[in-house]
Amino acid sequence: MKCHEARRLFGAFWDDETTQAEREWLDAHFVSCGGCRTEYENFARTVEAVSALPRYDAAPELLDRTLARTRRAAPAHDALPQRRPAWVAATAAAAALVVGTALVIQWVGMGHVTPSDDRTVAATPMQTAPLGAPVLASAPVADTHTAAVADSVFDHSDDIEFVLDPVTLKRGRAALTHPGPDQIRSEQAVVSF
Amino acid sequence: MPSDRDPAPPPILSLSDEDLMARVAEDEERAFAELVRRYQGRITNLVSRVLNDRECADDLAQEVFVRVYVHRRNYRRGSKLSTWLFTIAVNLAKNEIRRRVRRRNWFSLDALQEVLQDSAMIFADPREGTERAMEREQLQEAIGRAIGTVPEKYRVALVLRDIEGMAYEEIAVVLNVPGGTVRSRINRARNMLKRKLQPMLRRDGTE
Repeated sequence: MKCHEARRLFGAFWDDETTQAEREWLDAHFVSCGGCRTEYENFARTVEAVSALPRYDAAPELLDRTLARTRRAAPAHDALPQRRPAWVAATAAAAALVVGTALVIQWVGMGHVTPSDDRTVAATPMQTAPLGAPVLASAPVADTHTAAVADSVFDHSDDIEFVLDPVTLKRGRAALTHPGPDQIRSEQAVVSF
Repeated sequence: MPSDRDPAPPPILSLSDEDLMARVAEDEERAFAELVRRYQGRITNLVSRVLNDRECADDLAQEVFVRVYVHRRNYRRGSKLSTWLFTIAVNLAKNEIRRRVRRRNWFSLDALQEVLQDSAMIFADPREGTERAMEREQLQEAIGRAIGTVPEKYRVALVLRDIEGMAYEEIAVVLNVPGGTVRSRINRARNMLKRKLQPMLRRDGTE
């Protein structure tokens, strides 16, 4: 039993990892046990032989090969999709909800008027107006259609008098090009649609 | 004015391992190249000895450094870089051992016995050795093969200790086992090797 315990301590004894008590006990055991002393000599010779093994050097091309691989790996790593902040998705969902709701309300509010009718009525007086030619807001055609078609959930037909001249229609946006003549009696407005 | 200028950054070569790794984490390729230069020898040697396969060790060492690069931002500053590197290397080597065992592509015990017997005949009487260098080389090859026959968990501890010279505490971190287990594994591995190598290492008059 003493020899078994002694041999269990060989490794730590060699590495000087034993406690002081273990070291003293083993030293005393070696004095009295020739078998363990010989075993320890063989043990030490083995460890020395292993420790004396020559070291393998890295292959000369290891560095270049490794760098080549990491260069190929770098774009993929950096291209990993980044998570968008949560507020982006929430804002997009809210915007979609608002737009959808507005479209539904508008569709319901238009009643029997078809979209094609609306487009024709709204566009005809403005886009066909000769540029530079005065068109009064009280013209019968414009008034009739403005009153007949509700272009939003609110009816502004009584509040706003549209004056389309002098304006330039360009890309769906009307803008004042020059001061209006004196004979125009109404307020001027710029209409965006 | 020169006194107002920021001090020049220290050259790569003089950086500590941890500072070097911080530069690697910032995608500085020169820092990564220096890291590979510093550790390629130790990693290759470790893997070679654990696997007893020099050829495969190159590929595995390369894989170690690629993984270091891929996970460069996971390195925790304050922990020892060499411990982290050796942990990766040991894990890859263990995986390779298990893969080989699964594929039955492993060094056979019979072949080891032949090598040991040949070596024992050569080294039993050193006076007859006229080609000492070759004999020594064969002995070293036999020791390497004998290490390869030690069960994996004992072998890795043995290589880390006796070939890489790591402290017990660091081995415990690399292997993620208690210090007492490290001590036990190293001792068992050495005793296994002693039994295998005793015929070769016997000297006249010792037995």
